[in-house]
Amino acid sequence: MLPASILRSWHRGVAYSRTMTDECGGIVVEGVARSFGPVQAIRDIDFEAPPGEVTALIGPNGSGKTTLMLMMASLLAPDHGTVRVAGFDPVTQPAEVRSRVGWMPDTLGVWESLTAFEVLRTLGTLYGMSVADSARRADELLVAVKLTEFGRAPARVLSRGQQQRLSLARALIHDPQVLLLDEPASGLDPGSRVDLRSLLRSLAAAGKTVVVSSHVLSELDEIADRAVFVSRGQSVKSQTLHEAGSQARRYYVQAEPMQALADALRSHGVRYEMRADSRREEFQIQLGSTAEASWLLRTLVMADVVVTAFAPAGGALEETYMSLDTDRL
Amino acid sequence: MSAGTEHSTRQPFGQATRLPLWSAVRTVFSLEMRQRLRGRGWYWMLGIWFTVIALIFVLGTAFLGATDNEGGVLFDLVVGFILLFGLLVAPGLSANAVNGDRAGGTLAILQVTLLTPGQLLAGKWLASWVASLAFLVLSSPFIFWALALGGVNAAEALVSLVMLAVELGVVCAIGVGVSALANRPLFSIVSTYMLVALLAIGTVIVFGLSTTLVMEERTVRSSYYTYPESSLDSMGVPEEGAEAVCQSQTYTADLPDTQYITWLLAANPFVVVADAVPYSLPDVEADPAPGGMVPGSYYAPGVMETVSQGVRSAQAGPDLEVTCEESMSGRQPLPQGVPIWPLGLGLQLLLAGALLLIGRRKLTMPARRLAQGTRIA
Repeated sequence: MLPASILRSWHRGVAYSRTMTDECGGIVVEGVARSFGPVQAIRDIDFEAPPGEVTALIGPNGSGKTTLMLMMASLLAPDHGTVRVAGFDPVTQPAEVRSRVGWMPDTLGVWESLTAFEVLRTLGTLYGMSVADSARRADELLVAVKLTEFGRAPARVLSRGQQQRLSLARALIHDPQVLLLDEPASGLDPGSRVDLRSLLRSLAAAGKTVVVSSHVLSELDEIADRAVFVSRGQSVKSQTLHEAGSQARRYYVQAEPMQALADALRSHGVRYEMRADSRREEFQIQLGSTAEASWLLRTLVMADVVVTAFAPAGGALEETYMSLDTDRL
Repeated sequence: MSAGTEHSTRQPFGQATRLPLWSAVRTVFSLEMRQRLRGRGWYWMLGIWFTVIALIFVLGTAFLGATDNEGGVLFDLVVGFILLFGLLVAPGLSANAVNGDRAGGTLAILQVTLLTPGQLLAGKWLASWVASLAFLVLSSPFIFWALALGGVNAAEALVSLVMLAVELGVVCAIGVGVSALANRPLFSIVSTYMLVALLAIGTVIVFGLSTTLVMEERTVRSSYYTYPESSLDSMGVPEEGAEAVCQSQTYTADLPDTQYITWLLAANPFVVVADAVPYSLPDVEADPAPGGMVPGSYYAPGVMETVSQGVRSAQAGPDLEVTCEESMSGRQPLPQGVPIWPLGLGLQLLLAGALLLIGRRKLTMPARRLAQGTRIA
């Protein structure tokens, strides 16, 4: 007899209950709160990141993402609530957690006069690896993040994006079960973003638990399997990308001329509005599902409206983010 | 981009949860030293140091050219200046060790590894100590030059150098401890200078002020040789063949019982070094001829030896009985009574140890309480 939670998500091939997430190297955060003096950085966050998946942590600036990351990385103790990372409590068993967690901070810490290779090798030995092991692993990672030609140059000559990639390699040096990435894509060029995406997917495919915090939602759309939304120190929503994709979303439609489109929409009773935030002249339409969208497109084409553009307004996660809108109200 | 998958079949690396102390300290040490050796600041400081010591040495040589105990006094001078400059340089080398990393964003990266706060502090301390020992090594040409001039015994030279190294280590430990406590490098460097000033100058000031507390009215008997009234002629010049006689005078004066407050000076780095060094005291002729001039071996101590003598005379307290022999022989070297440097070094180690312990607590993660404005990463 399989647990209900497994059956529920059986169709996606990945299935973890909360206890299984904990026992198999994932992250479970329950009812966590933390304040800094008078500032309540985190009020109440529940968060779960199962192994083998990329979990996105999404929220506006100052919503507590980094604070939560620090707690999971065993740098900060929660005032209330429990954190379990790879089956251990970061407060009481920090060494066990640290040996299993790779953390990439949102700030760039650089030993300016050290070479990228030296940084990686040093960090490797600080995770208990032998000098030979960490040197070999450092070389592999330099290849993986495409810094081979800069491996022997002092880190100060690296550009911001290159330092970001070095920081990623550093988080991976001890082949951790859990990877915590705080804004990993900031400062990366488009090519590096694609590389990052495929690296994270391959890590998840290898059974690692990957947590990515960001507010660049279009990017997370393609990387993440699930997303947890936080706002003002609270977790407000948690959904899988599958769920996010099947929810109501906005579409932008353009036609030549726009008047014909307006007439057709009115005749079918579809509510539309003029898009206000764009240079282009477009209508914004709220549609309940992909089926509804394909019906509308077909109908418009049949009605001889010259449709020049018909596209979702944003990614699935962006849609959820905008629908929550808790911080900007 | 397959760094993760490659290793899933292999035994994972990071399942160790503890680092051996020595390997952890060595890693931090080499991390620190590598940065220092590649930076420019350290070399500049070494260059300035060498120039200043050379200047003082040359001036000292020119000034002391005629003295008999040239080697001894020069060596003492060099030791004194190395200690003075060491106290100025060591805080700069150590007091931004931890919070400099915090400002650079690299501290948290070290803290999420298996490195313990104690290992981190030990490595940082060792690195800053070795860096400040380089200043001692750089001064060796002058030390050897002074030794070559003679007059310094091996024990004096060896103990002087060892105590210099120890004092540099103590100041570095204070600096590293403060750097773990204070959030900003500037603040911790200034604080460390303040603590060093407290030891080097503050102890002397406190000692000086405390003398008023132990002031007591004492009767002093002071004797000296003089010619009897009868042997003087009308001009006041003693007659040929007249003999000087010993006369005594008693008077009362307020004198401090410094023997009760000398311990206040103990933690002074100069006192610790000077008191530990076994200076070879010249033999003073036991019975100078009455009325004769100053005996042959004139006692001229160097700077550090003067400190040592000052401490000994403070330990001895006021001299209430000056005999005629004493009045004739000029300054007499005092032999060591109870050594005071173990107490001083103990106090210094206590201060450094306490700072490092509190610093270690502050670096222990996960953090429960954070000082206002602290950012972990």
